[in-house]
Amino acid sequence: MIKFLLSLFKPFRWFIEKMGADYNQFIMILQLKLTMDNRRTKGIGNNAKKETENALIKQSIGQMMFGVFFAMFCIIIKSPFTYYYFVHTFLMAMMAMMIISEFTTILFDTSENVIIQPLPIKGNTISLSRIAHVLLYLSLMSFNLSVVSIIVGGFKFGVLSALVFSFTIMLNVLFTLFLANMLYLVIMRLASGEKLKNILMYFQIVIAILFMLAYQLSANMIDKTHIRDMVLPVHWYTYLVPPAFFSGLVEAFTSFAFDSSHLIFIAEALIIPIIGIYFTGKYLTPVFNRKLMDLEQGDRVSIVKTETARKSLWYQMMLAIFVHRKGEQAPFKLIWTMTGRERLFMQSFLPSLGFIVIMIGVQFFRNNSFNLDELVHSSRYLLILYGFMFIGLSLPAALLNGNNEHATWIFKTVPLSSPADYFKGFVKAALARFFVPFYLVLSVGICSLWGYKVIPDVIIAFLAIYLITILFYYLQSPGFPFAQAKSASQGGVVFAKMMGLMFSAAALGFIHFLLLRWFSFASLLLIPFYLILIYYVNRIFVYKKITWERVDEVNMYS
Amino acid sequence: MSNQTIVQIQNLEKNYGKKQVLHGINLEITSGQIIGYIGPNGAGKSTTVKILCGLINEYQGEISIFGKDLRTNTLEIKKQVGYIPENAVLYESLTPMEFMEFIGEMRGLENEITRSKAEALMNIFEMKANLNQRIATFSKGMRQKVMICSALLHNPDLIFMDEPLSGLDANSVIMVKEMLIHLAREGKTVFYSSHLMDVVEKISDRIILIDQGKVIADGSFDDLNKLSNDENLEKMFTRLTGNTNHGEKAEAFINAFEK
Repeated sequence: MIKFLLSLFKPFRWFIEKMGADYNQFIMILQLKLTMDNRRTKGIGNNAKKETENALIKQSIGQMMFGVFFAMFCIIIKSPFTYYYFVHTFLMAMMAMMIISEFTTILFDTSENVIIQPLPIKGNTISLSRIAHVLLYLSLMSFNLSVVSIIVGGFKFGVLSALVFSFTIMLNVLFTLFLANMLYLVIMRLASGEKLKNILMYFQIVIAILFMLAYQLSANMIDKTHIRDMVLPVHWYTYLVPPAFFSGLVEAFTSFAFDSSHLIFIAEALIIPIIGIYFTGKYLTPVFNRKLMDLEQGDRVSIVKTETARKSLWYQMMLAIFVHRKGEQAPFKLIWTMTGRERLFMQSFLPSLGFIVIMIGVQFFRNNSFNLDELVHSSRYLLILYGFMFIGLSLPAALLNGNNEHATWIFKTVPLSSPADYFKGFVKAALARFFVPFYLVLSVGICSLWGYKVIPDVIIAFLAIYLITILFYYLQSPGFPFAQAKSASQGGVVFAKMMGLMFSAAALGFIHFLLLRWFSFASLLLIPFYLILIYYVNRIFVYKKITWERVDEVNMYS
Repeated sequence: MSNQTIVQIQNLEKNYGKKQVLHGINLEITSGQIIGYIGPNGAGKSTTVKILCGLINEYQGEISIFGKDLRTNTLEIKKQVGYIPENAVLYESLTPMEFMEFIGEMRGLENEITRSKAEALMNIFEMKANLNQRIATFSKGMRQKVMICSALLHNPDLIFMDEPLSGLDANSVIMVKEMLIHLAREGKTVFYSSHLMDVVEKISDRIILIDQGKVIADGSFDDLNKLSNDENLEKMFTRLTGNTNHGEKAEAFINAFEK
């Protein structure tokens, strides 16, 4: 697989050398990177950690499966321009997601600099190989995702159309990469050091939220019957929309229409990406790499402001409410402090917060109209309250990710009879710091709209979410916080569990709703029921579930 | 007091999968001593230390520390043990104070006591000013100092150190050496594992040399030296671990370049 991928660069040897790189060294660096990618360790914990030699192929198959869904969605579209427009937009969106989510690992990886930089290799070779690596990644993904769409396109619009389409995918990849590079460079211009890393983090979060918003909106707006005959009209601004360049080019070859409008598209599709990639390789990437190096160096010299341990009233209150065992106190405090500082935690947690905001917004603007009167007389506040389950459930996974895998030895050297106390402290701190405040604010809002009669419901929903969240946390593999590299492979299992728990959350909400319907105080019965369950989970269940044997399996203490 | 047996190891064996790393180690360590635990790379030094600290639970053989069985009294023993690991990492997003507060609290120390101890210890290393800065900004030596301080917070009776001097500047090295001698004088036992032969030779009351998972020399340097006349520990080390032809090897190294 790697050999095949590398051979793809052969025809472009002149181009690579023209950009000022040494071709052989370039290929060697790429080969090294790909080999490492292919051996990416999967699974969690030292026992589960098996070296997989075929990570790339497995990943590709997964992406192809995903592409099937998309092709199914587009299969009914009649107009070739619209069909390819959708596929290209989808690809760009997926690539953007990929660049954003994998950005830190691929583009921002400076660890190799220590090894590669002292060797006699020209800067251009290094930066080009870095770009080529990302390019390979993106193209591989794009082709995997669109392989089914290409076949479908071939059947619908002819073989030539499919071939031209495959070619435009490549152009699309080049263009997206160029765009992403520009964007990140602009951001890097604006800030440096720690500040830059923070900006990048928030940028990623905003993008993630925007994607969710776009998804919500498009899901609401698009009407399936409409799609079939949908023909995108070409306005003057259509010429500025990137997916239109590529779909215009494909359409030109599909229906052999070479009028002025198509010629403009063809010119755009061919010229912009190639100029873009030349510009990226020649000018942007070196600047980018220089900035990256500054970033690395900057970390060491940047003066850090002294931190005084803040023990706010809020912290004291939460501690008193949630922590009743001495062994949980220190872990609670540890996570309370660290959650605010671990970037990866924020990265995986904050998007879910954004999602909730969007969800709530959607509740208010249903049917494209805002009707407060109707809203207040509905039980839709239950939907909003139980929607918060999403925040609660995103915490357990967010607590796992981080780069501290070598810091966990400390938990094992401390005398503690059951590790369960640690994990109880961890999850409680995360809930107290990142769930309770938002829930409180929202509850006040809900109470002011629906009146005081919903206070019991607010409490019941809170107990339900609390119960499900701690249950989920105790059931997931007991890794110490912020000590696991984000890996896609564990995503599947987590996703399945998450779906199960989301389903149970919906069920709990529904029971709540039914009881309310039955007679107004019936729902109060849920309060003692949940309290007993929470007591059981926190006092008995967790100590049976989280034992040193299980914890040792997942964590390594080096 | 100085003759009390602190650690007793009988027939300690350890396998990682099929590979056996420790082939029956027998040791008896008395209090108030600095034990230099040396051996070539991969000899099983770190593994022994990790087992003794309770980081690795699975092993064959019997170990008792403070007269208690390690398997059944792990917690009791951990309370009196301090551990400074090799290559270990600290939570970078914390400050030394926060890190030590966590450890102190988990070990059942009062918060006030932890704080004053942390300040005092860090002050010795001239790092009091760094107490409330994030560890992420520290150099290797500074991290090592934090690690040493946090291992000594609870005044342990038995201290395990895995290459504790790595990354420290010359002043700090002298200081840590002095500190170890003081600790031993107070009756504490220091189990010191290192590759720095001259340091081990100078500070150790007793030297244990292991190779391929077996003890191959055990005694004070003077005792050991009487048997062989190696003039220093480095020479003894190379003779016992079977690499005497360094000269030839170095030459082969040079030749490899010339071809």
